[in-house]
Amino acid sequence: MNIIRPSAFAALLACALLATGCDKKTAGPETPISRETKSPGELRLFCWSEYVPQTVIDKFTEETGINVYVENYASNEEMLAKLQAGGALYDLVQPSEYATEMLIKEGMLLPLNKANIPNFKNLAPEFVGMGYDPQNTHSVPFMGGSVGIVYNKERIKTPVNGFGDVFVPEHAGRIVVPDDAREIVTMALDHLGLPINEINADSLAAARTVLTDWLKLVKVYDSDSPKTALLNGDVDLGIVWSGEGALILNESDKFAWVLPREGAHLFVDNLAIPKTARNKAGAEAFINFILRPEVSILISEEFPYTNPNTEARKLLSPEQLANPASFPTKEEWARLEIFHDIGGAASDIDGVVTDLRAQ
Amino acid sequence: MGYLLPGSSTPTSATPRRTPGPAGWLLLSPLLLWLGLFVVVPTLLLVILSFCSRDPDAPGRVLYAFTLENYVRAFQPTYLKILGSSLLYAFLTAILCLVMGYPVAYFIGRAPEGRRNTLLALVMIPFWTSFLIRTYAWVTILSNQGFLNGILQASGLTSAPVDFMYTPGAVVLGLVYNYLPFMILPIYGSVEKLDQSLIEAAYDLGARPWSALVEVILPLTRPGIVAGFFLVFVPSIAMFAITTLMGGGAVPTVGEVIQKQFTAARHAPFGAALGTLLLLLFFAGLWATKPRREPEPID
Repeated sequence: MNIIRPSAFAALLACALLATGCDKKTAGPETPISRETKSPGELRLFCWSEYVPQTVIDKFTEETGINVYVENYASNEEMLAKLQAGGALYDLVQPSEYATEMLIKEGMLLPLNKANIPNFKNLAPEFVGMGYDPQNTHSVPFMGGSVGIVYNKERIKTPVNGFGDVFVPEHAGRIVVPDDAREIVTMALDHLGLPINEINADSLAAARTVLTDWLKLVKVYDSDSPKTALLNGDVDLGIVWSGEGALILNESDKFAWVLPREGAHLFVDNLAIPKTARNKAGAEAFINFILRPEVSILISEEFPYTNPNTEARKLLSPEQLANPASFPTKEEWARLEIFHDIGGAASDIDGVVTDLRAQ
Repeated sequence: MGYLLPGSSTPTSATPRRTPGPAGWLLLSPLLLWLGLFVVVPTLLLVILSFCSRDPDAPGRVLYAFTLENYVRAFQPTYLKILGSSLLYAFLTAILCLVMGYPVAYFIGRAPEGRRNTLLALVMIPFWTSFLIRTYAWVTILSNQGFLNGILQASGLTSAPVDFMYTPGAVVLGLVYNYLPFMILPIYGSVEKLDQSLIEAAYDLGARPWSALVEVILPLTRPGIVAGFFLVFVPSIAMFAITTLMGGGAVPTVGEVIQKQFTAARHAPFGAALGTLLLLLFFAGLWATKPRREPEPID
């Protein structure tokens, strides 16, 4: 079994070297996070990719002298898994509403000392004391957003008011949806008028029936950048995060934004301090810094989600405030609903969506 | 990978197998330690995890209670179908890489010695950029308002944009593009060592170019072909970044499904079961294509 020639072996080695070189490249710039250094002048931020502008971080360092080390994740579950595994010592994490609820339930967050966060008063009342953390004892909203519809007015001539108008046979092969099983099932549950946070065998079966017809029509599943397929003209309509929707509207007036009449998911991404944090004071200083109106608008400029900061909204331009994807009307707001932790149902939901996509 | 072990890389099967002496083992120890800690132990953990259940109260947690449930689920038609289509994509990718890569590797291997390194460098230049960036470049080329459709429409060949992106063809294109060098390099290694006089002998004995290729050149470069095939086929099966970016994820791949079990679905044991099955499949494939013992050593 040894006829592989030395030359081929050498080539294999070359490949191996090549592969490792390639890995280093793909890994990109990484900030080493070591356990040993325990200086109060450091803050380890574990946050979503593309959410905290570099300008904000630089400004914080300039002002406080605290060096911020940033590590990114692409999903709440990725962050939860890392925190649960232990060993990773972060001072600040950025969980969405249902993940915040779960972290509190598991006792994995430190209570906040509100005396260190005076700017908390800047938050809009609708973002304070939401169901996942009724007293905001452990979390402070960073940004909010909804999941809505964007369509190309030049190519879609029929009125689009809700999910039911998106998933019609005429739109087959022209739709993008998030690559996210829970969002997909929530669209169907909202369409059926069923509760989106109590998932049982019956409601899942009903959602499955609806999705069997709907998912056949989908061309692209993309959670990271659904705007790409829309702006490139590869699809004509889709379900996107409101921040992405706002960017699409800013970039081209061919597109329109609709908040589904059936209701939709309202997400709230928070800042919270994990139990293993080493620089709680620094983390609270960062939260307070983020809540400053002039800092908060820097985030809105780059990532136009719903800014929860009333004082910051006063500094935004009329155009920014008029963007229907960034700022839903009162009546639209009433249609939105946050996610709660659904525990083991996450796997059932994934099973249903995987099954239908593989059809 | 058995035939890559040191001590078994002697070119002829007639020579007795050499086992490393004490000094040899000492030199090998860093590698063995590395393999043990970072390959063998994690693989065992994966296999153990695949037989565990989830904690019903906190689904993110694993309960160390034996169950076969994960494997029963893995054999449901949905997951078999996903595995099947992933294997098909990977196979197609490996075949296309072979068809396109072999002539290139042969050309480089037969080029004047001074030029070979330059040509090899050209093959490797794309690796200087992250594969994700190269894949995004394809998105700008292939999209409906992209470069290719622009040329087609400007030249009057098509009147409306053609759908290139988010099709099975785009997935295979992305995979072939990214993995082609992994086919070229090992074949180049075999071609470079190919003795020109053997090909001349074939011609002297009346072989036409085709039979010289099929009966002399291909068999002698077989190790490079097998190595290249596996270097392309194996990573293609589980690759999910390219398939989601260029295929739109309409048909999930097995790599994507496994990744989701560890994240959104929060069902690590099921993901581990799928991973273990994939691993078994690799071993079966390696065993099936294990190089045969050749009766007459060529040297």
